[in-house]
Amino acid sequence: MRALKLLAAAMMVITLSGCWDNIDINHRVLPVVMGVSKHDGEYLIYLQIPEPMQNTTQIKIVKGKGSTINHAVDDISANLEDRVDLLHVKVIVLDKKYAEAGLEDTISDFMRGRDVSPKTLVTICDEDMDHFFSLVKKKMGPKGTTLYDFFEKNAGWNPQIALTRVWEVYRSIHSYTRDVAVPIIRSGDTTVVQHIGSAVIRKGKMVSQINSEETLLFNAFQRESTQGKIEVMHHASVLVIGNSLEVHSQMDGQTPILRCKLKLKVVILETKEHPTSDMIMKELNEGLTHQFNHMFARLQGSGADILGTGQYFRSKIPRSELKDWRTAFYPKLKLDLQVQTIIENTGFLELS
Amino acid sequence: MDSFIQEIRDSLGDNDDFFFQQEKIGRASVILMGFISLIDLTRTKEALHANMDNWKPDRDDASSMMEAIGEVREMDLSEAITMFMDGKLIVFFESERILVLAEAYPSLLNRAVESPTNENVLQGAISSFIEDIDTNIGMVRKQIVSRHVKVRSFLAGSLCHKKLSLVYDESHADSKLVAKVIKQIESSSDKEINNLQNLTKALGLSAWSSVPKFNTTELPEEVAGALIKGRVILFIDRMPFGLILPNLIWDMFSLENDRNYPLPLMIVIRLLRVVGVLTTLIAPGLYVALVAVNPEVLRIELALTIAQSREGVPYPAIVEMIFMLIILELIIEASTRLPKSIGPTITMVGGIILGQAVVTAKLVSNLLIIILAATTISNSTVVGFQNSLAIRLFKYVIVIMSAMYGVLGLLAGLVLICAYLSSLSTFGISYLNISMNKGESGNG
Repeated sequence: MRALKLLAAAMMVITLSGCWDNIDINHRVLPVVMGVSKHDGEYLIYLQIPEPMQNTTQIKIVKGKGSTINHAVDDISANLEDRVDLLHVKVIVLDKKYAEAGLEDTISDFMRGRDVSPKTLVTICDEDMDHFFSLVKKKMGPKGTTLYDFFEKNAGWNPQIALTRVWEVYRSIHSYTRDVAVPIIRSGDTTVVQHIGSAVIRKGKMVSQINSEETLLFNAFQRESTQGKIEVMHHASVLVIGNSLEVHSQMDGQTPILRCKLKLKVVILETKEHPTSDMIMKELNEGLTHQFNHMFARLQGSGADILGTGQYFRSKIPRSELKDWRTAFYPKLKLDLQVQTIIENTGFLELS
Repeated sequence: MDSFIQEIRDSLGDNDDFFFQQEKIGRASVILMGFISLIDLTRTKEALHANMDNWKPDRDDASSMMEAIGEVREMDLSEAITMFMDGKLIVFFESERILVLAEAYPSLLNRAVESPTNENVLQGAISSFIEDIDTNIGMVRKQIVSRHVKVRSFLAGSLCHKKLSLVYDESHADSKLVAKVIKQIESSSDKEINNLQNLTKALGLSAWSSVPKFNTTELPEEVAGALIKGRVILFIDRMPFGLILPNLIWDMFSLENDRNYPLPLMIVIRLLRVVGVLTTLIAPGLYVALVAVNPEVLRIELALTIAQSREGVPYPAIVEMIFMLIILELIIEASTRLPKSIGPTITMVGGIILGQAVVTAKLVSNLLIIILAATTISNSTVVGFQNSLAIRLFKYVIVIMSAMYGVLGLLAGLVLICAYLSSLSTFGISYLNISMNKGESGNG
């Protein structure tokens, strides 16, 4: 009896497993980059597929059209010899016009369907997608993962590039107090891609744009390590080797007040005309504060809280009022940023 | 002629190696009886005569002479036959009609003590057990000189007799375990014991357990270590190894000889064996899971490389894996069957030629060969060949589970194996018990 039960269980394992649906890795198409754009109510999907050939990899760009994203991908899959497996998509490139119109549906679909990982990076493309992908294909090396490496922290990522994933965009759509910045790229003149700043996304819609240097400050404010960035000033350039942020929030009646202290540890790389270290520190502090205030004023104007300042008031504003954060409180927010620079060393030469 | 002699002649006389020899010792005329194949007759006779020549009797009569030769004993036919089989010489005094049981020079049927053939020893005692049970026990006694070491011997089997010996250290071993083992052996003393399966049955243990119930070792050093840890050791005559009872999971990773290295090195070596077992279990399953079911777990670069190496391979990953694993098992089995001089040829044919050709023929991917090599090599890091067999079997469970459910199946397979291992117990001691010192065996 026991043996019979065991046999029945073993048979069920085999018949219920559905293992005949498994497709081996060499029969799957593994796109690395997916481009999404919308024309006349129809989605246009671009997939950049590295194709392993004998001893090398070739890049293929395929294009599909459909009334939904899934429909478009299906369209591509039907025309390809292998099955499209979107789980390896590392970068999603969105058309700028489409981003300005609103991404909510697309991002929700990505989160709902399991075929695109929520960890996938989101970027915005500042030119025509056809043009972008054809240039990328032409310039990309045989590795096929160039676009992904561009954003990879242990490869080509630089601190002035914002890193935003699908789930973060989704969170920003539904959160009362937080928005996201998405990097904007276009095809480069000599390099494959060129980074031109970050898009400010408010509730899934692109509302404004900040440049690379502002993105660096944004990253520092997010406590993202900005190591390796060279800050150019009138008198010197420095390397930021460490940053920390202290934030103190407080409500003055209905006015939120945020006091921030950004501590930067820097190393001096280049100097011009013999400045003293005090001068460099002062210039750096003033320059960064000014730049930050300028950026913050613009962000406040757009109503997008990409710095996540609202997060610091979650415990101070009742939840019923918190949902009006972006409209009622954020425009009134007083942000006082102090930049404190410490020069860790001055290289092999001493400064006076 | 005495009727007893006639009886012996009737029952053993048709053996050509049985001898009846008329002999004169001193003044008495006697008949010597025994198996010529078990007794060195010339030396025995010499010894008997020398014994008589040196004999300085108090009383000059036959009975004191008999006592000088051996043990005067009344015995029936079956008892006498047992004695003959055991290699004893029986001297029959014709005039007195009395049987005397004498110790004889045994003819040498054992090999000398040599270095082990199935285990390798680095920096340790290299003499290994031989077929003779008394020599083995003697070697253990030499290795662990302690008055607490006790030896109990049993005779098992009704048609064939087999000598069993139980060795334990009464100051370390759990007396309940010892009593249980002794009781079990005594209650099944009529069963034939010719191999370990028989022994497992005689000890009342499940014959269907994939993990061996005994940890076999050829080395007196290991046996001595096991005795101190509270295990009991079984020796069977004609088996050149000691059976350490019970077998616990840690025996798969630890050797007593490891303690001859500095402590940090010992820990690292044992960890290496743990890694080896995990690699053997997981590597083939992981390959199947990652290639066929969950490629999204791989980094994209690796995914592309694997896809490239599998380009043109016709079979699904599971078929590819099972196919190569079976060929590999065949190579291992073949190289153990073959004489030592042909063994390397098989290794070369199997390893280099087949491995290279199978990849060139695009039957399997390059990566699979690497995985297989890693699996086979790491399988050999396990202590004890019998343990590596169990691990070799378990990896198929994981491969099949992985082929169906991917990484989840891999985990489920590991859980299944853990559950199976924890279900095993020997004489009430769980297989997953780590320490077995006195009084701790119940803590499981």
